[in-house]
Amino acid sequence: MTRFVVLLGQRIRRDRLQLTLWLLGTALLAYASVSAVFDTYGEAEDRREILGIAIATRTILVFRGTPNGIEDGAFAFFLLFAWLALLGGLMSTFLAVRHTRMEEEQGRAEYIASTPAGRILPTIATLAHGVLANVGLGLLIALAFIGAGLDAGGSFVAGAAIAASGIAFLAFGLFAAQLFRTSRGANGTSVAFVLAAYLLRGVGDAAGTPSEDLLHLTPAWPSWLSPIGYGQLTGAFVENDLRPLLVPLGFAAVLVGVVFALQSVRDQGASLLPGRVGRAAAGPVLSSSFGLAWRLNLSILLSWTAGGIATGLLATSLSSIVGDVAGSNPQVIEILRRAIGAEASIEQTFVATFYGVVGILAACCAVQVGIRARQEEVHGTAELVLATRVPRVRWLLEYWIVGVIVIIVVLAAAGLAGVLGAGRAEDPESLIPNVLEAAAAQLPACLVFLGVTLLVFAFLPRATIPLGWTIVGVAAILGTFGPILQLPEWLNNLSPFAHSPVPSGDGTDWSGGLWMLAIGLAAGAAAVVAMRRREVSTGG
Amino acid sequence: MNTVISTRGLQKRFGRTTALDGLDLTVDAGEIHGFLGPNGAGKSTTIRILLGLARASGGEATLFGSDPWTDAAELHRRIGYVPGDVSLWPNLTGGEAIDLLSRLRGGATDEAAYAARKQRLMEVFQFDPRKKGRAYSKGNRQKVALIAAFATPADLYLLDEPTSGLDPLMEQVFNREIDRVAADGATVLLSSHILSEVEELCDRVTIIREGKAVESGTMAELRHLTRTEIAFVHQPGQEAAIDATDGAHDLVIDSGRVRFTVDSDRVAGVLPMLAGLDVQGLTVSPPSLEELFLRHYGDELATLGQAPRS
Repeated sequence: MTRFVVLLGQRIRRDRLQLTLWLLGTALLAYASVSAVFDTYGEAEDRREILGIAIATRTILVFRGTPNGIEDGAFAFFLLFAWLALLGGLMSTFLAVRHTRMEEEQGRAEYIASTPAGRILPTIATLAHGVLANVGLGLLIALAFIGAGLDAGGSFVAGAAIAASGIAFLAFGLFAAQLFRTSRGANGTSVAFVLAAYLLRGVGDAAGTPSEDLLHLTPAWPSWLSPIGYGQLTGAFVENDLRPLLVPLGFAAVLVGVVFALQSVRDQGASLLPGRVGRAAAGPVLSSSFGLAWRLNLSILLSWTAGGIATGLLATSLSSIVGDVAGSNPQVIEILRRAIGAEASIEQTFVATFYGVVGILAACCAVQVGIRARQEEVHGTAELVLATRVPRVRWLLEYWIVGVIVIIVVLAAAGLAGVLGAGRAEDPESLIPNVLEAAAAQLPACLVFLGVTLLVFAFLPRATIPLGWTIVGVAAILGTFGPILQLPEWLNNLSPFAHSPVPSGDGTDWSGGLWMLAIGLAAGAAAVVAMRRREVSTGG
Repeated sequence: MNTVISTRGLQKRFGRTTALDGLDLTVDAGEIHGFLGPNGAGKSTTIRILLGLARASGGEATLFGSDPWTDAAELHRRIGYVPGDVSLWPNLTGGEAIDLLSRLRGGATDEAAYAARKQRLMEVFQFDPRKKGRAYSKGNRQKVALIAAFATPADLYLLDEPTSGLDPLMEQVFNREIDRVAADGATVLLSSHILSEVEELCDRVTIIREGKAVESGTMAELRHLTRTEIAFVHQPGQEAAIDATDGAHDLVIDSGRVRFTVDSDRVAGVLPMLAGLDVQGLTVSPPSLEELFLRHYGDELATLGQAPRS
């Protein structure tokens, strides 16, 4: 028992900052969003309208939840639950893989396994740690809901639903850690599973059967395949039925059984899916340091491009529907307009909103390229390259170029996807130039993030990874939620995304974009030049 | 003779800690130079400065007469490098990593010749190139760096504890490769804390301690600084004659054998005495680098309480 306590304590200690931020951040987001919901949709009439629009257009439901009436709690639950469950799911799978497969991959698990703690106990401790984290998350979210003025009973049901779906994802993370030899493989599969659970629930909601008053909906069967779907089936604040949560918890119990069965028969360090045998010699891409930088960032590029394509397709295929439905609804137009702060038609506004998301995806991709440079340095592989004929300045310049390429590829893919999706619109000819402009308008902001991340890499190398993600994350929240949360103007203006031009026909104001283009290029150039004086550090 | 590596008063500070504290190091063309010191003495820091990966805080360093920091990439055309702890790209195979590094060094332009060199090295090092980087053991990661270093001819090899993780068989292969590149006229700086390795391979040695060179010279020169041990079967009454001999120290009679030491340049002087005593079972052991090393680090060991003072 003491060994279990030691292992659990070590996990809690190691995660104390990360988990605290994740738990408090999620709870704070829940609290702020509920307050914002009351401000924005204070009147029953507004809520009736927005639910009507959502149920009529259906696809909006993919990003929200199951409509269940216009009461405060039920309405907030509809808007927020799936999103919070998604955050809880990602927290859980990353936690599971971090303390199991990653430990094994890096050889630390072997030390632990050589002590009397053995091979199995660390996994049990990780399970307990993850369950605690999820119970904590559920509790904090319940308290945040209560604090924002929602009914206590419903808040606790909502919290329990978050915790239950999170525990199901935790179990999947532990399972993926058994399957794959690398933490990368396990994390990738787990994230895909969490996103699939979110989308299955979304499809279930979108394909559901609405009630006659257009305020309620019975989700279709895909929701039953998703832990998040079962969380929604609790009908928190209305039915308050905890029984559906038995399904994700039962799923977790079965998976955990499988995990321990697998772990008790396999070797330490081995995996269910064997590592593959690779090429004996390098292909033509690996002929230069640029080729290496490209190859190292290829998987990053592919995943963010897939996100860009999906967003681009949605943008135009949805915009026509929105144009129909929302055209008569000034409230919705007003909300969308406030979100991007420009005078434009409803379709243009809608497209701009979606391409704002594309801009965030491309910026994340660029930040990750900068972070890869830092990972290469810490890992010691940058040193191998820099001990050859590659100068430091050229090395970073090549990362910058790869960063510019990935931004352009993600934006271009999203733009082309938007053009494809526009085929269904009533007037594709007017939409297509709008889509392409909206995609291009994101380029300057993305260059700022690339330049700033590399600048941090050049001057504060240790801060590259945390600061890179923080900058793009905060800017994304300010850029997307800022106007809705009605934050002060100057705060919103800190986000580069707030300055991305909004195409609106002939009257588009491109000046913000030009300024940011200049800032982005200057930051990138300063970072590259700074490499002349920068040492290559070892091991962080 | 051309000087390939030269540092004068080289300093490197990391915040408050001083890694190099006025290091003088000279390596001439064509020599295999042992760079000897325990972990943390500053060997890797020196090599990183010579590679232009780190910048000196003070003093000067030149490589082929150029500044390694400002002319790094140009100098790297002539250098093969093996780090002490080799990291590989997790999703590249060992074969891909070797090819990549060789191409970056410009050693793969003549593809057929390069392929032959690589093939030979992979065979002698018994290396499987098809595994992904993360699947290799430490010894195998080391082989990747060694094969990449030796597959492209260089004027200077900077090897930072290159045999760590290699088994004794592979160490022999490594020694043969060093002999081969030295025969081709290359210069080698071999950092190590393994004395026998340096003793076997190197022409000259520099011993580094706490960021300073405490001893530097050829093996023969350094041996002058140490004593040769003489031992034979003990017969009663020999002690007085030994005590009377000039240059004999540290007389011990133990397990029926007499042992004493004599300054290495005065061994000839004690031979008449040995003949006079008609000694049996005589052994004369030349000083090892081990002793030399312990002479500089012995006090440290003594304070650690792990070894008696000699």
